[in-house]
Amino acid sequence: MLDDKKDDIFLSRWINGELSEKELREFQAHPEYEHYAKIMAGADALDLKDYDGEKELIKLKSKRNDKKPGSVIKLWPYFAAAASIAIILGIFLFNPNQSITADYGEKLAVTLPDGSEMILNAKSNAIFDKGNWEKNRLVTLEGEAFFKVKKGSKFTVATKNGEVSVLGTQFSVHSQNSLFEVNCFEGKVSVVNKGHNEILTAGKAYRNLGNTPENWTFNTLEPSWLSNTSSFRSIPIHYVFKELEEQYNIQIEQENLDLGYKYTGTFPNDNIDVALKTVFSTLGIDYSLSQDGKTVVLEK
Amino acid sequence: MSDNKNSTCNEKVFDNFFKSHSKLLRNYIYYKFGDLDQAEDIVQDAFIKLWNNCSKVDLDKAKSYIYTVATNLGISIARHQKVKFKYKDYIIQRKTDVNNESPEFIALEKEYMQKLKNAIAELPERQREVFLLSRIDKKTYREIAELSNVSVKAIEKLMHKALLTLRKKIGNI
Repeated sequence: MLDDKKDDIFLSRWINGELSEKELREFQAHPEYEHYAKIMAGADALDLKDYDGEKELIKLKSKRNDKKPGSVIKLWPYFAAAASIAIILGIFLFNPNQSITADYGEKLAVTLPDGSEMILNAKSNAIFDKGNWEKNRLVTLEGEAFFKVKKGSKFTVATKNGEVSVLGTQFSVHSQNSLFEVNCFEGKVSVVNKGHNEILTAGKAYRNLGNTPENWTFNTLEPSWLSNTSSFRSIPIHYVFKELEEQYNIQIEQENLDLGYKYTGTFPNDNIDVALKTVFSTLGIDYSLSQDGKTVVLEK
Repeated sequence: MSDNKNSTCNEKVFDNFFKSHSKLLRNYIYYKFGDLDQAEDIVQDAFIKLWNNCSKVDLDKAKSYIYTVATNLGISIARHQKVKFKYKDYIIQRKTDVNNESPEFIALEKEYMQKLKNAIAELPERQREVFLLSRIDKKTYREIAELSNVSVKAIEKLMHKALLTLRKKIGNI
């Protein structure tokens, strides 16, 4: 049985119902039995996050259609290398791929087919139709990006929270969960968001968080994250944590913390020690960074 | 073409193949390398590679092809960034398992489940892979053995070991 060193598949047989009646009776009388039964009951109550096969297939097809069968473009080795803007740009120019994703801590500069520029912040994804670009200047965005749009036909950024459209200007869009924020740096943009229509001129910003729209003015010429600083204006603290996680590829473990705070402030994107200190000391939270630099544990 | 039904270049064949194999491949890669989102990216890349090479890989070879390609992708990523097995937001409670126990009992169970998930995350890779394929995906030892090209006996041993390891890590509750 359990103590029998020769029977190294005893528990496997038990799980599969392959024990003889006598073996099973003996095992059930053993003091260890209830522990194993509990492990099995617990394990059988576990499940994985859903997988949407249909959606994944559609995603696959949109990537696949960009490549002729037979011409294999090995993207992976490039990803494995330190991601530099130049390399990603190279792939982008020679491969009409429509979906672009900036990974943890990355910023990607992308030149759109008409010369307009898009800069993606960390952990953000943009999809656009390159073939049909002249007729339809549409970028579908998840995350945060800054745009410098060449004058021309209507240029639209669509997110699941709302749409922003312009003729030619500079603006940034941030759409994440229920947060939707647009900052206009030059020209004029039109924002459509859950029944709200807003026209923003240079130096004006619009935000809808949950369902409370607000407007304000600012006087910077470009978003702070372009110069490696994340800044926040009275925002629920979990967005700040999320941004820290995305910029530094870390995990923040925050058990038993009251997350009702709002945060106004900045942190640098190129110095994790300063960033953590800045955020957590202002909140009065003690923290420790794990040995491998991947996990931050918060203590009250 | 006469062999069209057997060709992964046939859109319909490819789609069906994707639908019947992508989920288990994603889970398998997740159990091995520890990051579910990354596993989904790897699945995408493996199937794209299959499509690009469809003229060379027939349907009957396609399954072992995607498993090999995906595993290799996982290994080359793991070489650059060692990932701790992540389960937060990934491993959840089975939805069908809702019962009406008293709040105290559920609180204790929650603590136990947390401990169990932790212990699973700390299992050696092969033990974790076998244990979760068996418990979450309800695969038989034979099916698991075929996925990684080893004997059924080897899987049974790993399963036995996984339970011993979990028991040791969880301790007495």
